[in-house]
Amino acid sequence: MQSTPPSPEAVAYLAAVGTALPGDPVDNAMLAKTLGVNEEWIDVFIGTRTRHFARDLITGEVRWSLADLCAQAGERALSAARVAPEEIEFVVMGTATPDHLMPATVNQVADQLGLDQLPTYQLQSGCAGAVQALELGRTLITGGGYGTGLVIGGDVCSKHLELDRDLSGAAPSDLVNYVLFGDGAGAAVLTSEPRGHRLALRRVLNRFTGLGREPGQVIDWFGLADRHEDRQAVREDYKAIESAVPVMAAEILWELLEELDWSTDQVDFLLPPQLSGRMTRRITEQLDLPGAVEVSCVAETGNNGNALPFLQLERLLEQMTDGQRALAVAVESSKWIKSGFALEKV
Amino acid sequence: MRPVAIVGLDCRFPGAPDPGAYWDMLMRSDEGVGKVPGQRWNAQDFHSPTGAEGHSNTSEGGFITDPDAFDNEFFTISPREAAAMDPQQRLLLQCAWRAVEDAGIAPQKLAGSPTGVFVGIMGNEWAQLHLTDYARVTAQVGSGNGYCMTANRVSYHLDLKGPSLAVDTACSSSLVAVHLACNALLSGECDTAIAAGVNVALTPALNIFYTQAGLSAPDGRCKPFSAEADGIGRGEGVGAVVLRRLEDAVADGQPVYAVIRGTAVNQDGRSNGITAPNRWSQQDVLTAAYRRAGVEPSEVTFTEAHGTGTVLGDMIEIKALGQLHADRTGRPMAVGSVKGSIGHTEGAAGIAGLIKVALSLHHRVVPASRHATKENPALKLAKQGLRLLKTPLRLQSKPAIGGLSSFGMGGTNAHAVLESAPAYAARPEAVVVDGERTSGRTGLGSGVFTVSAPSLDALRRNLLAQADAIQRRRVSAGSLCWSSNRVKTGHRYRFALPAQDTGELAGALREAATDDDLLARLTGNPAGRPLVALLFTGQGSQYPAMTARLYRESPLYRRFLDEADAALTPHTGGSVRDLLLSGDPEVHRTRWTQPALFAVGYALASSLAELGVRPTLLLGHSVGEYAAAVLAEVFPLEQAAQLIAARGALMERLPEGGGMLAVRATPRDLAPLLEREPLVGVGAVNGPQATVLSGELAALGRIDDALQKRRIRTRKLAVSHAFHSPLMEPVLEEFAGIAEEAGGGVPKLPVYSTVRGRLLEAEPMDAKYWTEHISAPVLFGEAAMQLLEAGPTHLVEVGPRPVLTQMARRLRPSALAGGQSVALVPDEQAGGHQLAEAVAQLYRSGLEPWWNAAYPEEERAPQRLAPYAFSDAHRFWTRGPIRSATATGVGVLPASGAAAREQSGEAEPETRALSVAGTVEALAVLPSARESAPVDVVASAVIEAVAGVGGYAPQEISPGSLLFEDLGFDSVMVMELKDRIQERLTGLEAMSVQDLLPRLSSVGDLIDYLRDRVGAAVA
Repeated sequence: MQSTPPSPEAVAYLAAVGTALPGDPVDNAMLAKTLGVNEEWIDVFIGTRTRHFARDLITGEVRWSLADLCAQAGERALSAARVAPEEIEFVVMGTATPDHLMPATVNQVADQLGLDQLPTYQLQSGCAGAVQALELGRTLITGGGYGTGLVIGGDVCSKHLELDRDLSGAAPSDLVNYVLFGDGAGAAVLTSEPRGHRLALRRVLNRFTGLGREPGQVIDWFGLADRHEDRQAVREDYKAIESAVPVMAAEILWELLEELDWSTDQVDFLLPPQLSGRMTRRITEQLDLPGAVEVSCVAETGNNGNALPFLQLERLLEQMTDGQRALAVAVESSKWIKSGFALEKV
Repeated sequence: MRPVAIVGLDCRFPGAPDPGAYWDMLMRSDEGVGKVPGQRWNAQDFHSPTGAEGHSNTSEGGFITDPDAFDNEFFTISPREAAAMDPQQRLLLQCAWRAVEDAGIAPQKLAGSPTGVFVGIMGNEWAQLHLTDYARVTAQVGSGNGYCMTANRVSYHLDLKGPSLAVDTACSSSLVAVHLACNALLSGECDTAIAAGVNVALTPALNIFYTQAGLSAPDGRCKPFSAEADGIGRGEGVGAVVLRRLEDAVADGQPVYAVIRGTAVNQDGRSNGITAPNRWSQQDVLTAAYRRAGVEPSEVTFTEAHGTGTVLGDMIEIKALGQLHADRTGRPMAVGSVKGSIGHTEGAAGIAGLIKVALSLHHRVVPASRHATKENPALKLAKQGLRLLKTPLRLQSKPAIGGLSSFGMGGTNAHAVLESAPAYAARPEAVVVDGERTSGRTGLGSGVFTVSAPSLDALRRNLLAQADAIQRRRVSAGSLCWSSNRVKTGHRYRFALPAQDTGELAGALREAATDDDLLARLTGNPAGRPLVALLFTGQGSQYPAMTARLYRESPLYRRFLDEADAALTPHTGGSVRDLLLSGDPEVHRTRWTQPALFAVGYALASSLAELGVRPTLLLGHSVGEYAAAVLAEVFPLEQAAQLIAARGALMERLPEGGGMLAVRATPRDLAPLLEREPLVGVGAVNGPQATVLSGELAALGRIDDALQKRRIRTRKLAVSHAFHSPLMEPVLEEFAGIAEEAGGGVPKLPVYSTVRGRLLEAEPMDAKYWTEHISAPVLFGEAAMQLLEAGPTHLVEVGPRPVLTQMARRLRPSALAGGQSVALVPDEQAGGHQLAEAVAQLYRSGLEPWWNAAYPEEERAPQRLAPYAFSDAHRFWTRGPIRSATATGVGVLPASGAAAREQSGEAEPETRALSVAGTVEALAVLPSARESAPVDVVASAVIEAVAGVGGYAPQEISPGSLLFEDLGFDSVMVMELKDRIQERLTGLEAMSVQDLLPRLSSVGDLIDYLRDRVGAAVA
């Protein structure tokens, strides 16, 4: 474990990815029927076609916990990598919506996967949490002497999916929370030696840039004392997000390119931020990497937070061939976190 | 030495009924030591804190629970024989079975193989108790005793033909057994070996011995290498491992717990006292094992020491280890001993240590050693290059090496060097299929989870055991199902359930175990292989997006639909597959309907064939006959595709304006009406009162009006054309030309033709046939009746919805009482789950599917399943607690089951207690008693005799009971049975065993035979 001295050239590899989406996809017609939202409005202004929910839209029953989905994704990643659970030496998980404040969901996931006697970490973050988890995993491998670890990201919005609410008169800023999000989880096996898909994780960027800026998104939680307060559980400054994210995305892209000394035509795949079908399209156009194939999922999966980079990675793995390179860009608009990573198939 | 893989294991130790519980106990540094159970001996009678003569200084030790429980019915051992067996034999039998299952092998598949069995054992207390009671020595008591029989029983009941032997080298017995097993594997004597150890304490003899020799810990606990170490505490247990040469395990895709790299055995020789441990010999055996394994001492990360916790023994063992490790660099070697948790399990000590080391290397963490935190400073461990396992040791991701010592009281020492399994062996690659059948894509889109058991009760119990295990840990549902198909399919009652998610599977198993109706639906008890008839659905059954979900979910179906699509596309001018996937309503136009139904029929039937469903009878309704003909090798796929595409296209070109009318009447009833309408004919006769008229719409309307007036029920069919009618004539000539090109031979499988209304007898399905097929009426009713007469067990609907199976059922409801309908696509939403259910249904009925075709390659990787859960309802404990001579003589305990329950703290099970001599002491009536009591003298005499010889309650015996298969009779029992019958039936003339033997299949046969003989004697 910690005995191997860190080497400056040490590289962490992504061996395999597994993902889990709960139940059948929910399309806009179904969502419109259940919540009384206008279907055309979703198509035009959001551009997300389907998403998955851990809560049954008809009965309201919660069918999957975050731990269930993350463990399912983790198990699939292990199977795909042909890595035995006993080989896993650490687990890092990013989420904004843990099942409980305690125990941390990462430990429930470890339990479901039969993992024991190993360090676990849970990073509380929005969309950037998955990237932060990748960064911590990479650090543990390149600097901590670990050989194999599991990195997980996932979110469920079941808690805030209020099914008996009539939204026909709701404002767009409120409506958007119901149609934008989805549930899901993803996981990746990181290794110190190239295995499985042999994707070298060349760079990970994770930077807080929100000093003095109002959060673009707030998800609240309630306890015994304040549970009756009339606060909106999910708030979103959609205007601020719309103007800031494209700019931040471009900065992330260029920072990664410059640090790696890659030119734009050396990037074969681009994994852009996954806000909604429509926003992602706009941002990708502005990033202007015509030579790179866009790898997106949000139009089919909905914005399921920390699962997104893994869902994109899964689509990427199907297409990537030896020697190809990919860049991923993610922005967390709560307190404005820049994140991204660079991969190369060796 | 070449490496030997540990591929399976099972065990029971104090406080731990199975390997999972054993590991949990070790990881919690817990113990399983407690009071001497009342069932064994009266601890107070023999307890003396000062260790007085004839007494033990402790009344505690490590005892396993329920050593009296034995599932004799599973092994078809009669209660009487079971009662006469040393419990060590019984425990070992169950343990060996479970270990083999854990290795991913259905134990039945080892039958007849040269698998070796090597058992370490040193306790012979059963013999001391029973073979000294001369008046009660029976044949069963003889074979129920003896070291040899522990191993030989396993070989017998699993039908293993390799070496089979028991080893007694005192406390090192089971590690020496492992050593011998490895050598037998490496010398090629066997390809699989079961190595085991067992120890059950029936008497206080060894406690007294240890006390008198100054070796017994007053608290009954081994405290290895602890400052508080003050002697041995005895322990019990049973453990077995399944060993393979590593290369064989890898080649067979068996997951490997750990690898044995080297073993060595030596002797103290004439040392200072036969029972004294010897440092120099211990050093030598360590050196020899390291040399054989090819490792340097410094490479060994940890060692499971013998560690009995005697001051002298600990000291000598540490010095011997220190000799080899004192000058190592890096971290000191970690040392521990499982004896701190379970006591000294004597004959089973080596296997207890081996399983602990194997699990440590598997889980990549070595448990802490109980009592290690209070280290004995006199051992000067640090100077010896050693440290105690005071906390669990997480092993690094690189290969790790662990040692294991086991030393015998008489001076036979053993050491083994183990290594973590190489990554490729710990999680093997997917099993690439046996070659012949599954080339190309495989997988139903859902797994089928299977469990089998010899009885429904056993099935329920095992469903619950599986549910518990599956719920504990998330694994790939597909791999789990595939593994269940390999390991859990050998018994009479077959349970099968489609499963895509382990959470849902666990719930469904639990539900089935508690709901008898559900269990009955999901379980089969087949008498033979199914006789499957395939019914290919015709026009009218199509709908947009038919089988699209199945296509998306099942790679197997996808493969064959793609094949059909590729064959059709040159002739259809577009892809039938794309049409189906897009949900295009064009599928209702006959130029698409016909090829689309053909493609679906072909793909479904080919998927079934790939899964091992051998079609024996074929029938296709109208266009359904084309796919049936391909399956019967009338012509290849390409020709059939060309022909069906042309058929559809030609009919499409005919003007619309034709229709079809279903009428509840016979063709004869309709003949007068038809005479007046030349443009209408009989299109199909689906049954005696189910006729379909086909022809021009206006004419059909006139007929319909006439029928309505007569109050005869009619129904207009939604069709574009009047198929099988005179209106088809314009296409015949052109079609005949194309059909000549396509050809067509005699079907190689029985085809029940709907053109002829009967089985085709060496008649070709050629151009003439297919041309006639267009306008001739579809004689489904007659063809189906004849097919039903052939007695199929299953009617499988090969089409996008169930149509023909229902029509056939209406034809002859009574004849089908025993048959089943199977729908591959039961409804418009059906996908992989429903196809898997169809396979499950056929498996329940006796089909042996080619399971590999049911799973994609990545799912064909082994997952360990919970091993068979044996019944603990039957208890066999023939002696009461041993009492001191001054208290009472050794006697029979009248309610021994109660004593066993008391110590296990369990709810009251069905209990029986049998004495070795065969008299029933306390026999609870089993609820499974089968049939009502016999009515005549002969029958009751026979049943009493059978019950007496087997040790059954008379209520358990019925005329249907099979003497050998159900009741576990053997030749010795038959001899006794003959004598008993002759004693009871005084009117019977003398008979020999030879007379009797051919009449012994069932109790009923025997009764009939004897009734005749008695009758003859009287006459």
